[in-house]
Amino acid sequence: MMSGFLRLAASERLKLAKSPIWLLIPLSPLLSLVIGLLVNLDEFGQADNAIKYEVLVSAMAAFHAMLFLPILTGIFSAFVCRYEHAGGGWKQLLAMPVSRTGLYFAKFLTVGALLAIAQLLFLGAVVAAAFYQGLGDGVPWGMLLTSVFSGWLACLPLAALQLLVSVGWSSFAAPLVINVMLTVPNMLVLNSERFAPFYPWAQPMLAMLSFGDSELGRLALPLENVLITVTGSFVVFLAAGLVYFNRKEV
Amino acid sequence: MNEWVIETRALSKRYKGRYAVSGLNLKIAKGDIYGFLGPNGAGKTTTIRMLLGLIKPSSGSVHIFGKELQKERLSILRRVGSLVEYPSYYGHLSAVDNLEAIRRILDVPVGKIAEVLDIVGLAKEARRPVKGFSLGMKQRLGIASALLGSPELLVLDEPTNGLDPSGILEIRELIKDMPRQHGITVLISSHLLSEVELTAGTVGIIRQGELVFQDTIESLHRQAQGQIRLVVSEPEQATVALMQHGFRAELKESAVWLNGGQGDDAVAGAVKRLVEREHSVYRVEERRKSLEELFLQIVGEGLRA
Ligand SMILES: Nc1ncnc2c1ncn2[C@@H]1O[C@H](COP(=O)(O)OP(=O)(O)OP(=O)(O)O)[C@@H](O)[C@H]1O
Ligand SMILES: [Mg+2]
Repeated sequence: MMSGFLRLAASERLKLAKSPIWLLIPLSPLLSLVIGLLVNLDEFGQADNAIKYEVLVSAMAAFHAMLFLPILTGIFSAFVCRYEHAGGGWKQLLAMPVSRTGLYFAKFLTVGALLAIAQLLFLGAVVAAAFYQGLGDGVPWGMLLTSVFSGWLACLPLAALQLLVSVGWSSFAAPLVINVMLTVPNMLVLNSERFAPFYPWAQPMLAMLSFGDSELGRLALPLENVLITVTGSFVVFLAAGLVYFNRKEV
Repeated sequence: MNEWVIETRALSKRYKGRYAVSGLNLKIAKGDIYGFLGPNGAGKTTTIRMLLGLIKPSSGSVHIFGKELQKERLSILRRVGSLVEYPSYYGHLSAVDNLEAIRRILDVPVGKIAEVLDIVGLAKEARRPVKGFSLGMKQRLGIASALLGSPELLVLDEPTNGLDPSGILEIRELIKDMPRQHGITVLISSHLLSEVELTAGTVGIIRQGELVFQDTIESLHRQAQGQIRLVVSEPEQATVALMQHGFRAELKESAVWLNGGQGDDAVAGAVKRLVEREHSVYRVEERRKSLEELFLQIVGEGLRA
């Protein structure tokens, strides 16, 4: 069972290894790096390093977590289904001795891994910007890793939903359009204290910017709140995807 | 336990109230090559998709290697290689990487890739991205993929689709060898009887979702057996005379036709009677219905087997 799953994952890796997806991943971290280099931390001259880091991460994550991360989630999900739709791969895969649930998880894991790479690159960008800003001493690794990790976690429900849409829809573009349409409202939703905690597409941003007892915390919610929304939507979307995929006629 | 490699029981698939496949009882013996024939839209692909568990039957069941597909799908599919409808491929990968993507799932030795590429004659093109392949080359890659797991049962849906005549011949030879060399059972679908006539041991003919013929190719040949046509003087009287002597004679196009299993003795006897009655016998000919004609007739009107 486990070895079957690992073999499926190895097969997925091969299919992606020679695809243009790798050019896409560094884009958002690079843009964040530019923002990180340009942001002005002078007005926080006397403040703690921790405060300055919070400001830096908030600035850098603004676009990354609010827009790019959710959109990338959709692109990755569409990508792991793209080659199957294009070349009749579903019927070949499913006529092999593979469990549908296992295959679905292998695809999901692949999306998760791609997102993790994007987050690690973002982390690298933050650290690079911090050194440039003279914050090299005492990098708050705990806080940065929590931010990056919880941002990743908050993308998983979106990945589960997008995978469902991408598996069901043979078009590559249609699921992406849906995803962008659901992501763009983030700019409004995030300003609403009432809706933001429940809107799955807003959670990556909330997750990445919840620094606990932050003074900047206009956006910052306790991480626990974020996790409840994230877990709930994840379970619903993943279960729907698994049920659908197990019944899909190929 | 039974010895059928594939056995379906009243297998049916309904789409929006219309039966695409209805009450199918396929029986395919071990080591046989089974030609699954039928015109466009007859339900061949739908049946094959059910055999592979790609779609669920509306009713009925599929047994492969004596095990029920519903219950033991994975262990059955481990021993089956297939090609459904048109070949599947990853266009951005080379032929080798395409096979590698499958090999990783099936967990067979790396050496198998070169072996199957060689079998289908793609070894030289193996490193090119498959999106630049011709249809025939993709078809060969599809067959290579089906062979990769060293299957005991090969299910091929129109495998010669898009191949040139020499390619068709090659694949035919390849398929012919499967049972002999490797003990593999083959199910191969086609529109054309001529395509499987030389390879298949058994033929199943499906028409509008129903199996209208299932028997050995010899039995089909027997059914295609000919009539004897006699051109004689005064054919009306000749026909009556032959009927009086117990021949199944018939007058058609001002000639006498002898129907049914006409051995040499019967023909000689009939000629003798006619000569005795002073008919002139101008011609004695055998008229054979070709297998293809018989096939078209079966497909056209549905002959119960
Ligand atoms: N998903 C579907 N929804 C509705 N009808 C379908 C579906 N799949 C197949 N059919 C119908 O089932 C019938 C059988 O189709 P099938 O593809 O099995 O035929 P076939 O014998 O493989 O034909 P061909 O020789 O053209 O490949 C057709 O009438 C087709 O329209
Ligand atoms: Mg077909």
